[in-house]
Amino acid sequence: MSCDLQAAGTIELYFYGELPQADRAAVQAHLARCAECRAALEDLSVIRAALANRPDVATPPGGDWSGFMRRLTAAVAAEQSLRGPSNATPARPLRRQLAPYLAVAATLAVVSFALITERNPRPAPGATSVVTAPPTAGAAGAQPLRDASLTATDPDPGLLAVSGEHFERSKLVVLGLVTKSGSQDDWAYERDLASSLLGDTRLYRQAAEERGMQPLADVMGDLELVLLQTSMTDEPNEASLHQLQRLIRRRDLLTKMNAY
Amino acid sequence: MADSDLINRAAGGDAAAFQALVERHRSMVYRVAYQFAGNHFDAEDIAQEVFIKVFRSLDKFRQDAQLSSWMYRIVMNACIDHRRRTSPSGAAPFGEEAEHKMMNTVEDTPGPEERAYAGELGQLLEVEIGRLPPGQRVVFIMRHHQGLKLGEIAEALGLAEGTVKRQLHAAVHRLRHALNGANVTAGERA
Repeated sequence: MSCDLQAAGTIELYFYGELPQADRAAVQAHLARCAECRAALEDLSVIRAALANRPDVATPPGGDWSGFMRRLTAAVAAEQSLRGPSNATPARPLRRQLAPYLAVAATLAVVSFALITERNPRPAPGATSVVTAPPTAGAAGAQPLRDASLTATDPDPGLLAVSGEHFERSKLVVLGLVTKSGSQDDWAYERDLASSLLGDTRLYRQAAEERGMQPLADVMGDLELVLLQTSMTDEPNEASLHQLQRLIRRRDLLTKMNAY
Repeated sequence: MADSDLINRAAGGDAAAFQALVERHRSMVYRVAYQFAGNHFDAEDIAQEVFIKVFRSLDKFRQDAQLSSWMYRIVMNACIDHRRRTSPSGAAPFGEEAEHKMMNTVEDTPGPEERAYAGELGQLLEVEIGRLPPGQRVVFIMRHHQGLKLGEIAEALGLAEGTVKRQLHAAVHRLRHALNGANVTAGERA
């Protein structure tokens, strides 16, 4: 790039119509004698023409927003429910709309409490409540994850408990993906299972974020990505399957899930 | 109903107003997210994050501000955040001080020889746009796809106009280099 005008980005400004009229005239005169700038201008025209022919994607596949809106409504409901009583009470229409999701959240809380009670009998007064169960085999490398987040002062052991259950269910999908070799025989099963787990995964991820349990939120986020991709893939080809498997490997997802 | 009215109502807890706001802007958000991410999976993820952030920020919206600028800023930050989360090394933060790094850190994705068909210029360019550093990609998308002026981009992203200009120039330079590297000359394109 030897032309100063080109190096300074002036040709792009000319191309995009961002130069004052006086400067445009000067650039036009320059173009008449500078082959490098003419080539740059032509390249820009080629780029514009080529990109103009690409499909304009402004909607989810098939133009169907229903899944998107459903997930967004659930996420917003979770957000709203996690804000707690310190925030302004939402107006009646919002509460009415959120009622089903708040019911789900309440159910989760009950289930969490039940699980905790079952797993960890009530300690004697004054005793700490650190969970001492060993991590699952193969998760030794990720044990600090558990140790770091599960302490006597942990604000929400219930979330950890239901997350562990959720990871167990989700392993069916993740293990299935890891061991798959291009056959589409039972893809519908994995896709449907992934779809059914997606909403809870997002809910738990957001709950973990809200509670400052970042390691858990990160694993939920990785799982969410894998489930989302799986649920939206109708017929996986080798490339898309490879992409999913690479994602699972790069995030070390199974090891991290085993740590809970 | 004006956007500002919808925001006021949504901030007051009117779910229908928030839904109307989403329906009004979701195509723009999804389009930019798709252009940035290049696939539906990540585009949906980004778009969801955008509207959740909008929901969280409803009461912070300044009535004298341009809604489009506000929304663009959220979209672009969500794009950058998403790249940071999903990239193993993390993407550079979006700000003046990170300009140099953003301009020189190429995304670790397959190159044109692996993914583009010979002669398929649009596809080749999309692949290359996906390999641009996040800052350059954002600016190129806003200028080239969305048709925003440099000043508008600078306002939306909170950057100096000169920074935006340099990012755009660097992006175009890389795309031109990719075209030439793929042996697609001006004569062959005509």
